[in-house]
Amino acid sequence: MSFRSVFIALVTAFALILAAFLVNRARPNVETDQPTADFVRASGKCAECHARLQYSVVHEYEMSNHAKKGVNCLDCHQPAAGQEKIDHHGFVISKHLTAGNCRGCHEPIYQEYLRSRHAVPSWAAVHGTEGLTPEQVNFAETYQPGSTKRPPNALTLPEGHPAVAAGCEQCHAVGKPNNDGTVGTCTECHSRHTTSVELARLPTTCAQCHMGPDHSQIEIYNESKHGVMFAAQRNLLKLNADPRTLTTRDMFVPTCATCHMSGINGLKVTHNPSDRLSWYLAAEVSTKRPNYLQAQINMKQVCTQCHTQAAIDRVYTQAELVLASTNEKVLAAKSIMDGLHKDGTLTGPPFSHPIDFTYFNLWHYDGRTSKHGAFMGGADFVQWHGNYELLLKQTELQHDADELRREHGRK
Amino acid sequence: MGANNLLPGMQRIVANPRIRWAHDPQLWVELFVTMNLAILAVDIYIAHSVNHFQKWPEYIPLYFSICAPVLLALVIALRWIWNFLPPWRDIGYLIGWLSILVGLAGVLYHLESRFFLDRTLKSLTYAAPFAAPLAYTGLGFLLLVNRMVEVRTSEWARWVILLALGGFFGNFVLSLTDHAANGFFAHTEWIPVISSALATGFLLVPLVTPVTRRYLDLCMAVMFAQGAVGVLGFWFHMQANLIEPGASLWDKLVNGAPPMAPLLFPNLVGLAFIGIWAALPHVPEPPVGKSWLGTAYAWAGAERQWFPAD
Repeated sequence: MSFRSVFIALVTAFALILAAFLVNRARPNVETDQPTADFVRASGKCAECHARLQYSVVHEYEMSNHAKKGVNCLDCHQPAAGQEKIDHHGFVISKHLTAGNCRGCHEPIYQEYLRSRHAVPSWAAVHGTEGLTPEQVNFAETYQPGSTKRPPNALTLPEGHPAVAAGCEQCHAVGKPNNDGTVGTCTECHSRHTTSVELARLPTTCAQCHMGPDHSQIEIYNESKHGVMFAAQRNLLKLNADPRTLTTRDMFVPTCATCHMSGINGLKVTHNPSDRLSWYLAAEVSTKRPNYLQAQINMKQVCTQCHTQAAIDRVYTQAELVLASTNEKVLAAKSIMDGLHKDGTLTGPPFSHPIDFTYFNLWHYDGRTSKHGAFMGGADFVQWHGNYELLLKQTELQHDADELRREHGRK
Repeated sequence: MGANNLLPGMQRIVANPRIRWAHDPQLWVELFVTMNLAILAVDIYIAHSVNHFQKWPEYIPLYFSICAPVLLALVIALRWIWNFLPPWRDIGYLIGWLSILVGLAGVLYHLESRFFLDRTLKSLTYAAPFAAPLAYTGLGFLLLVNRMVEVRTSEWARWVILLALGGFFGNFVLSLTDHAANGFFAHTEWIPVISSALATGFLLVPLVTPVTRRYLDLCMAVMFAQGAVGVLGFWFHMQANLIEPGASLWDKLVNGAPPMAPLLFPNLVGLAFIGIWAALPHVPEPPVGKSWLGTAYAWAGAERQWFPAD
């Protein structure tokens, strides 16, 4: 046996092995530093099929912060406690993803959300306590009194299930009880594979639900100076800035999230918008929230990042005057309706007479719009879409009430 | 006493003119190709079940692997039993060329699965195993070599060794990319990478420089190690599949560690052995003592079978 033969054989073999080690070493740690082989395989193997079947899903994930930080498909899709499991091409995954999957890493955020009106109270606004456990009801009532122990919305019955499922539930599912015992899905605001803070900061994300005559926040925002400036300067904003270090240098024009949730300039981030809301503006007759003072301080702290205290106080004073005036108008209308029920002029289930709709529109559309407009700097919504409509419907209501009484032989 | 009679008895059997066919390396290569094409049918069925034969071209290698071995078996029988050569030659050529075509087309189709979307090493790792279809190309070349190069020549032996080397290099690439998908989570996943690199290195030498029989002894020792690695790998893959979650054993086999892949090692050892055995008469005996392979070759009477004294 010649030395040359052995030399060539070993050098060739060693060169191949060295090349293999070097190629493997060049792989990013986020891909290989995983708890099990399944987790290593997950991102690439999943993408192998799904890039062909649902390209956008993989593409969105690849652009996400999750991808940059090595959070792969299985991290989110693995079954969380209480979830139904399915075998999927060699992986065990959850059949339905819920907030239960996100809370594995984002528990404090889930807990904040759970105490908000985005959680169970949102679902209860449509379905009452249906589908909720007593524990969930009690928990929600502890943090949002009067929000959950309520009957289903009176409109669900006359509108019917298809309208409720394709309409109401599309927004109110943000607080839907899940089979695994958790509530809601974070993807309502953060999207699924994008899992984006940037997306959650966009007004259009909130506007998926906070729009229309019943809660026209996006329309008001768009009319406000905040909205106008956002439209003009959104490209200059750092919408994807890290929430922990977000400053007014990143977001010098506020979006919904900036005022209601973000921890701008060192303030505390919250996933419970109630932390900064002092009034129940959506209520028929608005009352102060239990944490009125603290919430107002919290919101004003946000305002002071850009405005003077005098300007902030002026806005709040003016808004609370509008609120009080709106309450008076709604209460006046309400007393007309109560009178009709009391004297037997109005009978039957809710929403069975035209006057029921007039009153509902009065507080549910115009009353809310007036109050939201006042707090959010939407002058036109305080006036033409709010108080003018309130006046109009109040007049109609009085007229209709008088007509009904005449029809029933009452004075 | 019994042991003393055993070896001569076996030698008589091996040297029996009635099994002269067993000394024909050309037949062994034909049987190797036929058997491998048949096994590939099973392998392809498992591999392409991962995506439920989503695209029709995925059926091409399956049907080819079902039909080709039957035809090959038929023409082999015609050639070696009834000495009817033309069908063996022409059908063999046809299957050989088709096999090369299937292999090359397969590489392109496999790369298309991911690699052409974003040409990165990562996508190559997670793409369908792009080197796997080259098994068909290798088998096709073997059929052509068997018909275009005179058997029992040094050239023939070297071509067979080259194709065995190609197989081991394929094993190197496949085990590297497949196990990279796991991030070499278990250190044992490096074994086939290192092992196939050694096999590639050792089989390369007879192709580029004159070697001695003692070197071929060493080659065979390396090859035996490859066989052991293959069996060990089969055990590891089966064990992983049995432990892994899955709806059924079939589901685990389809989606888990490919059970047949490690068996490529002992399989290629067989091909390498044919090449090395055929190379022996063209390699001089060492001046001092005999090589293990040379001794075995003489004992089996191979020289008498194919290089008679007349």
